[in-house]
Amino acid sequence: MNKTMRTMLIGLLFFVGIQLSLSTDTHAFTDRGLAKGTKGDDVIELQARLQYIGFFKGKIDGNFGSQTYWALREFQEKYGMPVDGIAGTKTKKKLTSVSSYDKKFVMDNIKAGKEFTHYGGKPLTSQVKGGSTTTKPSTNTQVPSKYSEDDLKLLANAVYGESRGEPYEGQVAVAAVILNRIEHPDFPNTVGGVIFQPGAFTAVSDGQIWLEPNERAKEAVIDAMNGWDPSENAIYYFNPITATSKWIWSRPQIKKIGLHIFCN
Amino acid sequence: MKKLVFLAVFAIVALSAYSYMTATQNKDLQNALSVQYAKNISDASSKLQELDEAVKKTLLFNQGEGDLEAREDIWRLSSDIQQSVASLPLDQQFSTTWMNYLGRLGKFSKEGDERTDPKEFHKVMDRASQNIQSLSEQWSVATADMASGNLSMAEWQERLDGEKASFDWNGLSASIQQYTESDFPLTASESDALKKKELKHIKDPAVTKEEALTKFKKLFPDVSNQVIDTTESKPGAAYPFYHIRFADNDSVGYIDITKKGGHILSFLTERPTGAGTMDIDKVRTSVETFLKDSGYTDVVFEEVRENDTAFHLVYTRVEKMHRAKVLSDTIQIKAAKEDGRILGLNAAEYIRKEQLKDQPIITIDWKTFFHKNVKVNKQELVYVENEHGIQRLAYALTVTLEENGEIGTYIVLVDTETKAVIKTEKQP
Repeated sequence: MNKTMRTMLIGLLFFVGIQLSLSTDTHAFTDRGLAKGTKGDDVIELQARLQYIGFFKGKIDGNFGSQTYWALREFQEKYGMPVDGIAGTKTKKKLTSVSSYDKKFVMDNIKAGKEFTHYGGKPLTSQVKGGSTTTKPSTNTQVPSKYSEDDLKLLANAVYGESRGEPYEGQVAVAAVILNRIEHPDFPNTVGGVIFQPGAFTAVSDGQIWLEPNERAKEAVIDAMNGWDPSENAIYYFNPITATSKWIWSRPQIKKIGLHIFCN
Repeated sequence: MKKLVFLAVFAIVALSAYSYMTATQNKDLQNALSVQYAKNISDASSKLQELDEAVKKTLLFNQGEGDLEAREDIWRLSSDIQQSVASLPLDQQFSTTWMNYLGRLGKFSKEGDERTDPKEFHKVMDRASQNIQSLSEQWSVATADMASGNLSMAEWQERLDGEKASFDWNGLSASIQQYTESDFPLTASESDALKKKELKHIKDPAVTKEEALTKFKKLFPDVSNQVIDTTESKPGAAYPFYHIRFADNDSVGYIDITKKGGHILSFLTERPTGAGTMDIDKVRTSVETFLKDSGYTDVVFEEVRENDTAFHLVYTRVEKMHRAKVLSDTIQIKAAKEDGRILGLNAAEYIRKEQLKDQPIITIDWKTFFHKNVKVNKQELVYVENEHGIQRLAYALTVTLEENGEIGTYIVLVDTETKAVIKTEKQP
């Protein structure tokens, strides 16, 4: 019996030892390397840990941007690691061993849209901005720097309102037409200016622009913002079945996608 | 029976009250919009007169402060009128030509001091002055009584619609088009830029539909087994291309290939997405192998953005003279997050290949060029388009500056010959 107890005790100690050694491992992060341009919960952890030890002073939002990059390089330099601004296995292991991460605190505050920090050495509860101060919830979407999240939202509304029944290619093309107009001297130079130009889009006139866009419309806009233009530089499009303007028929036509004809 | 009568009367009264409230609400909204339109018409009219004066003022001076002020007025007023015009339900053709004219006038006036010979500037402004005066008079006739704010929506539409209105908006559009052509013809560089944009300069031999399909199948064997159809671009397209649509297994999409040379303009596919995220290094390796195998051997990685289902990667062409990156010649790749498969390729900018000229490179002391708090972290050479649409060789500097405890990162592009700052962009 004593022998059995001893064996169980040794087994238990061995198990606890394994658990303790794993707690300093990188398992809290995902297995992938994190570099500039990545996003997600593992980037949130990276930012929170870097902030805990004072390297990262920006907003914890899960987007690996320039601030995170410089903070990570500084951390790597300080701890004598190769300085490349990439959080690989070794960097994450070192970071995990020298910092702490209160996942619940961070995630709860992000979900609630509250302004907060995650510095070590002071109570976390005192690092949440008081009262009902909230920040605009981030969609955590990464778009080229010349566009904003508001642009993305408005464009997704317009694309969904104008072309939700169209093939994906057609939805990207509608988004591209709006972006082409912004660059064109004959049109306003903002997303809002182009979309709300009187008479420019049916979805604005009939109120369908205010329908909640789906993920497909949002992805179509992201592709257009990233450079795809299936319309091949069009600045107009129309549905030949429903178009009432004679003038639109005089525009040089480029191609037809779904029900829309795209033209110059 | 009494109950039925009561219910019927109640329903009629309720419906009447509801209709009355809705009608009142609609009327209020229409009134508010009508007032807004009237305000914009009034703004555009008074600013058009101010613009006419500002243009005339430039004719008073040769160069100097007075001239500068008038030019700035022209730029500001043309921009203000553009905003008013953009917010009015005007005939689309008229709106387009009018915005174009104002944009060109403002740009010419703003850039005139750097680019134009004073005599030439005077000549253009003299012509513009006559045209704006004539335009102002026609605008007054067209918009007579519209600033009163008591027109119904139907009346607004009737007055401003090119096909219904009694005023000849199409005629006015034609006049403005003529003014644009006479006052601000396309400059050589603009014309050149447009040509490039339109890919008209491609001199490669034409490929057949079958050759285009073969190229598609070679580059994307996974999705090219089931082609739905292959069509040709319509006659109005600035450059002819083949449009191939496919639906292979779960993937649905298209590829556009130029007729001249069989170059890929863009490829995009939609398919259901799975879970998991592949390591970005592995995605890059896979994408770069694809680029090399596809013949894009002169590009380097520029940046990546991760989103919910895909990575968007950007590659930039490197020229041979200085090994400088050509920022206008890029390729975009969309790769699936779960397995790195290529979901999209956009090479329209890459195949337009900018025409580059060699340029002297002078050494610049960044310590004196920037404020002492600025740290230069990286320096490389790039070709970038300046505000006149000309490709210039520039130093691309990644600099950082501490801003309220945070690190701000900027890319600053400095002309290697003139030291002019071509662009400064804050990094996210």
